[in-house]
Amino acid sequence: MGNKDLYRHDVIVVGGGLAGLRAAVEACDRGADTAVLSKVYPLRSHSVAAQGGINAALGNSPAAKDDNWEKHAFDTIKGSVYLADQDAVEILCREAPGAVFELEHWGTVFSRDDHGRLAQRPFGGADVPRTCYAADRTGHNLLNTLFEQAASRGIRFYNEFFVTSLVVDEETCRGCIALDILSGNLHGFSSKSLVLATGGYGMIYDHSTNSLINTADGMALAYSAGAKLKDMEFVQFHPTTLSGSNILISEGARGEGAYLVNSEGDRFMAKYAPQAEELAPRDIVARSIMKEIQAGLGFDGGCVHLDLRHLGAEKIRERLPGIRQIAMDFADLDPVEQPIPVQPGQHYSMGGIDVSPDGETGIRGLFAVGECACISVHGANRLGGNSLLDTLVFGRRVGDKAFNESHDEAAPVVEAALNREIKRLDELFSSRGESFASLMREMKKTMFESFGIFRDENNMQEGLGSLNELGKKFEGAAVNSARKIFCQSLVRTLELGFMLDIAGAVALSALWRKESRGSHYRTDWPDRDDDRYLKHTLISKTDGQKPAIEYSPVKLGLFPVKEDGY
Amino acid sequence: MIIRIHRGKGGKYDDFDIEAAEGMTVLDLLFYIQENVDPSLAFRYSCRGAACGSCAVLANGLPVLACKTPLSKLTKPAENGQVFLPVSAEIPGGGILLEPAPYLPVIRDLVVDWEPFFEKYRKLEPVLKAGGETPEKEYIVGHDESREMEKYTNCILCALCWSACPIVAGVEGYPGPAALAKLFRFYLDPRESGDIDRLSIADNESGWWACDFYTNCKKVCPKGVPPNVAIGRARKLLKDKEEGK
Repeated sequence: MGNKDLYRHDVIVVGGGLAGLRAAVEACDRGADTAVLSKVYPLRSHSVAAQGGINAALGNSPAAKDDNWEKHAFDTIKGSVYLADQDAVEILCREAPGAVFELEHWGTVFSRDDHGRLAQRPFGGADVPRTCYAADRTGHNLLNTLFEQAASRGIRFYNEFFVTSLVVDEETCRGCIALDILSGNLHGFSSKSLVLATGGYGMIYDHSTNSLINTADGMALAYSAGAKLKDMEFVQFHPTTLSGSNILISEGARGEGAYLVNSEGDRFMAKYAPQAEELAPRDIVARSIMKEIQAGLGFDGGCVHLDLRHLGAEKIRERLPGIRQIAMDFADLDPVEQPIPVQPGQHYSMGGIDVSPDGETGIRGLFAVGECACISVHGANRLGGNSLLDTLVFGRRVGDKAFNESHDEAAPVVEAALNREIKRLDELFSSRGESFASLMREMKKTMFESFGIFRDENNMQEGLGSLNELGKKFEGAAVNSARKIFCQSLVRTLELGFMLDIAGAVALSALWRKESRGSHYRTDWPDRDDDRYLKHTLISKTDGQKPAIEYSPVKLGLFPVKEDGY
Repeated sequence: MIIRIHRGKGGKYDDFDIEAAEGMTVLDLLFYIQENVDPSLAFRYSCRGAACGSCAVLANGLPVLACKTPLSKLTKPAENGQVFLPVSAEIPGGGILLEPAPYLPVIRDLVVDWEPFFEKYRKLEPVLKAGGETPEKEYIVGHDESREMEKYTNCILCALCWSACPIVAGVEGYPGPAALAKLFRFYLDPRESGDIDRLSIADNESGWWACDFYTNCKKVCPKGVPPNVAIGRARKLLKDKEEGK
């Protein structure tokens, strides 16, 4: 399947979502010859599905007149259960207004207040209305704007190129090997620096809100190349996903005032978060919903109701048209007239590739940003509206760093790696064995059952055993398709390899942390334990490919560590 | 139920006898076949929630997003306002025929080459060209202006309108409904100078003036975008200008 064409660029960005495009725009503006490799057309990236909004302390809302970056930082750190690094949070929140205004200046159509300024809505875990939005299509509007900006700058796009491995030599990233999905050919890419911006790993779980393309690619590429992964046990479950299909129903709905109701008709959140109620952070709301369901107070199909009806038809049509459409298209009901059946679903990875606030991975020339990275600004639980912000603020910084810290090319090393990769993939084609589908289903089920919202030692050990079995079976996996043009069974087999690797990292990290914090809730260790676990989990592959766990301290300094409470 | 699917680059079809589950969408069905029957089947997907625009196909002659189309919709009698396109094979009785979206080169099975669609889109310079000084904070934009743009920014560039448009089929060089709607959205943007020159890039026989208002674009749009309205308004503005109004 070989093709010896070697492409060369100063900066290569892998991933065409918000983080990747923002990094690419910055590198390009600095003067780098910049390329974006994306396994889909950039506009199909998962950023497009983000709904509710993006946080910035603008103080536009009358209820938020004296809002400032410190308050935003405090809410973010409290929401993170003090696991976020406070220096990184300071950058996130200080630079937030500038990042939002920049996209507005570039053309993003935002919802407006009566003065024509950016409107801001309340969101979970935030003290005041701080979330800017474009109805409930914020990610779509932002991604279109960034794509327009990137495309107009002459950035080179390699659409539907799937990166199969990184080329690392002398502790320096020299580029990558990528499959041109349309032709079926493999190509080498030589770069002076490479930025991973591939998003999350939602597909390792059953019941995920994520796009089907979110398969842990960048995290696994970096992990295999020797980079460390950080805080992988922290998996966000979004409280409100459409029952059955698990399509996201934005937190914006609760921000606009929607109620969560159990089968007795009770608004139950006051029991669990007396002050914040429906607008408590996501980890708390997700667990509360599960407790209601486990107490027999759910509806058929294991769900509760999200009731918007009291908001009135006009507000629903104006502020939440996208989720109304989703309810009509995918649940056959109109939320103006009926409540929406919702259940928690996997949504976001707080953990990821361990990086500095400039995206450095510890491997020279290799950077990471966005959901695949862990800086960390989200700690044990991310607040709604902070992930879009993360992509823009740190996308810019990492694009800048990738330009400044570039090193010499080493094309011969990339060529040699290409030859090895051609041989490896040819073997996948020629062998006959189990195909990806059954192994993938088993992995998803294992992760949801053993590493879901509630966790305990026995269940997790059993899950880890299943993952190890799946890993062995995967060694005999085969593509089982002779057609190399647009060969999805090849792509999906490689994706499964990435996912199994990362599922293992989530499992081992979750077993290591014997406490409950944010999204990581252990029924056998139900309390937070700052003495032993106010620290980051790091996992990396040692020389023998066996994962090893270590830890690093949390950077404090802005706000003292306090008890939980919402 | 017999599912007949276009295979290869053209002309060949495979039949699959599938027991469709309750509530199954076209995309669910394609995954079922790829994961259980024929791993070589190729089709596009991403968000599975009608947000990303990846999965346009022709299903029993209807141009649809595979992810938001339940099989039951395809076997029901036609509804008012539905746009049916010509098919290239027989629709199996009570079954489903799946073909690639028309007017784009076929790569394999249900996958088409989007480049002609995006090339035309790029030619219209779809990027904000802000006039005047950049404000320190946000530009001030009214509710109504914002809502008016939203009608068009909701476009997900899925190319369903392209595939359903008789003008795309017949007029060489026509940018297609989505690209024209995008251009009009930038003309509307109060952050731009508001100069009608923004529209002139498509002020020609194969641009704004090629449309015959079949309105198939609006009818098939999964997001309710009305390119026909944008085209009508652009033509009036250009005509008024020529007449010195």
